[in-house]
Amino acid sequence: MIEVKDLVRQFKSGDRTIKPVNGVSFELEKGSLASIVGKSGSGKSTLLSLLGALDKPTSGDVVVDGVSLAGLPDGKLTEYRRRDIGFVFQQFNLIPNLSAVDNVMLPMEFAGVRKAARLKRAKELLEQVQLDPEKQSRRTNRLSGGEQQRVAIARALANEPKLILADEPTGNLDEQTGEHIIELLSSLSRDHNTTILVVTHDRSLARKTERCFRLQQGRLTEEVRTGSRR
Amino acid sequence: MSVLARSVGNAFRNNIRTAAVVAVLAVAIGLALAMLVANQAVGAKVQELNASVGTTLTVNPAGGQGFEGGGEPLTTAEAETAASVANVTSVVGTKALRLQTATTGTTDSTTGSTQQGPGGGFGPGGQQATVSTNLTAAVDAGTLGNRNNASGTTGAQPARTLPITATGIGAEVDSTGKALEITSGTGLGDYTTSEAKALVGTSLAEKNNLTVGSTFTIQDKTFTVTGIFDAGTTFGNNAVYVTLPEAQALAETPDELSTMIVTVNSMENVDSTKTAVQEALGTDKADVTQGQRNLETAVSSLDSVKNISMIAFIAALATAGIIILLIMVMLVRERRREIGVLKAIGARNRTIGLQFVLESLVLVALGSVVGAVIASLASGGIASALISSNTSTTAAPTTQRGGGLAGAMPNGGGMPGGGQGGPFGGASQLLTSVTASVSPGVLAAGIAAVFAVAIIGALVPALLTARIRPIEVLRGE
Ligand SMILES: Nc1ncnc2c1ncn2[C@@H]1O[C@H](COP(=O)(O)OP(=O)(O)O)[C@@H](O)[C@H]1O
Ligand SMILES: [Mg+2]
Repeated sequence: MIEVKDLVRQFKSGDRTIKPVNGVSFELEKGSLASIVGKSGSGKSTLLSLLGALDKPTSGDVVVDGVSLAGLPDGKLTEYRRRDIGFVFQQFNLIPNLSAVDNVMLPMEFAGVRKAARLKRAKELLEQVQLDPEKQSRRTNRLSGGEQQRVAIARALANEPKLILADEPTGNLDEQTGEHIIELLSSLSRDHNTTILVVTHDRSLARKTERCFRLQQGRLTEEVRTGSRR
Repeated sequence: MSVLARSVGNAFRNNIRTAAVVAVLAVAIGLALAMLVANQAVGAKVQELNASVGTTLTVNPAGGQGFEGGGEPLTTAEAETAASVANVTSVVGTKALRLQTATTGTTDSTTGSTQQGPGGGFGPGGQQATVSTNLTAAVDAGTLGNRNNASGTTGAQPARTLPITATGIGAEVDSTGKALEITSGTGLGDYTTSEAKALVGTSLAEKNNLTVGSTFTIQDKTFTVTGIFDAGTTFGNNAVYVTLPEAQALAETPDELSTMIVTVNSMENVDSTKTAVQEALGTDKADVTQGQRNLETAVSSLDSVKNISMIAFIAALATAGIIILLIMVMLVRERRREIGVLKAIGARNRTIGLQFVLESLVLVALGSVVGAVIASLASGGIASALISSNTSTTAAPTTQRGGGLAGAMPNGGGMPGGGQGGPFGGASQLLTSVTASVSPGVLAAGIAAVFAVAIIGALVPALLTARIRPIEVLRGE
């Protein structure tokens, strides 16, 4: 379970301070699938980076399964990112000179998984995200945007994280692959009890999540659903 | 994929840049290795030369050396005076005798008397008493010998064998103060008492069928061979050593010394001690000379080559380290975002740091391979360039003087007591012996030093990576 408590992140740009995240609080049950929508520049990526311990909040706290991130030293935060978080970045952020398989194996290498096991799991994951098998050993800077997106999602799933944070995961995918990725994410939340928080512009994706939040002027409001879920 | 595999892969991410970096590193490393090789080679040569220079001074009677000149002979009392000078560790007196093979019917052997000075029929000998022996010289007279023997006489002479040098010594050293190398038997034991025992040179022993325990005669007195020595030269091996008092007795000149060999406690004190001994004995009484003056200057110029090459080695090594440092700083900056990604997906700081250090070592390994090739091709040229520019001034006179001796000393490397001539036949011979000593061990040590410096150089940027925050991952391109 994730509790977000009055989270604030401010940036100084010149003599102006901006607060893309300004007092955000919410809770997510374990295994839930939620989405965040909001205009470009509204602070969605900033919020996700705070939840994923990539960045530290100006104030407030994130409590994951009872552990406060604010109280953890850097080493523990690294461990948290490695073990508990699967991050899908908006710009994929794959290592360009490594193959798709090698990229997916990286988080497992950092977690100390043995080589044969990492290779097996990496191949399975790439199959799940429907990457062409012959492109598995291709360097990721020679893959298309959609293919890179799928490798990035497979990498996020590598260590079976408790929480998946996905920043626009279907933004570069065609409708059909996008649908498939959404199916994959919802099956993970259903079958593996993985908590998933997705940032998206995609209305159809947002509609498929159990809960939907809107980020506006630094504040998060939950959209009240009209009609039935799914 | 392991950290190592990733590091190797990263080292080749940009082939053109990798080639450029390796080329620059190779020049620095190659230069460092060449300098180290030159340093070691010259160092070995310096040691070798130093060992042969020794720390001995030779004292001759003023105005006289060997066969030539005049003046008063040295005395045992003067030896004591010299021994009391500061920094003198020992004074060994010698008494030279000239052994002439007794031929039946010649006057010198039948008279049985000691002949002193010119007029004895065997050339000048103010310093050397000529006495008879039953030994035959191991050296054939040859042209030089006949000329030498004829020079001091008037009128026709029958063909003669060469004289043999016999030296009375106050310690187990040869006439130049070097320790005697006894190849069989033992030394004379107590060198301060008069005893009918002798050490015989290898070629002389062979010529006369002498072994340890054999006997021969000098002046009708029977001597027992206690040991055979090898002086390393044909001239030196055609010689006999007896104790100093024995030689003085044979020459009938007790208390008289032909030369004194003064040993100084260290190389640095040789010059000052030479002056001090000269003052103590008086310039009118004795000439103090140092054996290998030319050699000493050669050693000091080689020493400066050694220092220059060591400084150049360190400078080239530091350059390699700085190149690595700058290249790695550049790479860390360039991959800032990628480092952020690795951290965002859970890489530890030490994993990332290790990856960068390994990557730098891959570059250094390549640079070392190319550099070692450069060094092995260039070190000979570099060493000879360094040495010829530093020793040309001393090498030239050395060659001239050494040339004069080459005939008398077959290996061109004799140590004449008079202090003339150099031990090496000019710069070219020196160079051959210097460049010949390039060893794989030295190369390995140099490469180890390069790697140590590279690790230090790479550690700084590797530690910088620890300060990059995972949020870098979100930075726009
Ligand atoms: N490191 C930073 N320094 C200054 N301003 C930043 C920084 N990161 C984000 N911002 C600003 O915060 C706002 C929110 O950015 P972001 O979270 O990326 O928006 P979104 O993902 O919703 O498009 C933007 O105005 C952006 O310029
Ligand atoms: Mg964003």
